[in-house]
Amino acid sequence: MTAIDPLYDEERLREIVELDLLAPDVDPLLADIAAQAAARLGLPVSLISVVLDEALHVAGFHGPAGLWLEETRGHPVEWSFCATSVRTRDAFVVENAEVHPDHRTNPLVTQDGVRCYAGVPLISSRGYVLGNLCVVGLEQRPFSEHDVGVLRELAAEAVRRIEQRRITA
Amino acid sequence: MLSPPSSPARLPGYDLREPVEADALASLRRVFGPERGEERWSRACHDAGLAVGGVSTQAQLVRAVQALAAQGGPAAAVARSVEIRQRTHARLAARAATAGGPR
Repeated sequence: MTAIDPLYDEERLREIVELDLLAPDVDPLLADIAAQAAARLGLPVSLISVVLDEALHVAGFHGPAGLWLEETRGHPVEWSFCATSVRTRDAFVVENAEVHPDHRTNPLVTQDGVRCYAGVPLISSRGYVLGNLCVVGLEQRPFSEHDVGVLRELAAEAVRRIEQRRITA
Repeated sequence: MLSPPSSPARLPGYDLREPVEADALASLRRVFGPERGEERWSRACHDAGLAVGGVSTQAQLVRAVQALAAQGGPAAAVARSVEIRQRTHARLAARAATAGGPR
């Protein structure tokens, strides 16, 4: 029997909708966490992502003005670094995207200049990976255990706030 | 004289094309299984006043996807995926056009 790819898990997608994570009013709730992540790790961009079946949705954003990502509030899932954590349920770090086997041909790398990434999963109280808290930079750099720990700490706060939005029928 | 298609099949550099009806249906089949996926799409098309297999423009796809989103639950998540793929294609295509076309 073939295991279901978590990206297409109907119950995971239901959890995302029941937590109302696709609503436009989520960003003000989470943007300050993204800003803290970017500041503490010294990187220009941070997202709180929601990984859907075929796209990444940006639920919380911090970054310089003018990025197309802020306007589209997402991108195709095949470009997503965050999808890895949905499958592994663990942190994912890319220190040099130009040589990473999964991302060296990623358009975000080849066209938009992404060079480094670190993300940790946002796991709901029901055990579903919703997406990631991540930071992104335009220069390669190492990430320490401490860096990942900072992201985990902020991700816990993001999940706490997200859980308060659960739609109870 | 008729104009050529206004957008390329795939965006150079991004290897991204506009989503079409078949993509939305394939997504629903992956998430719900073939039978339930097709039932969801059929209902979305009906609610949007469209025929299954007859969603041929991006504007029609927007309408069908909005109807799909209104079903709620996982269907709304699938609908958002299609919307994001449409938006991303449109935004990047506009940027390429502003920059003078693909390099």
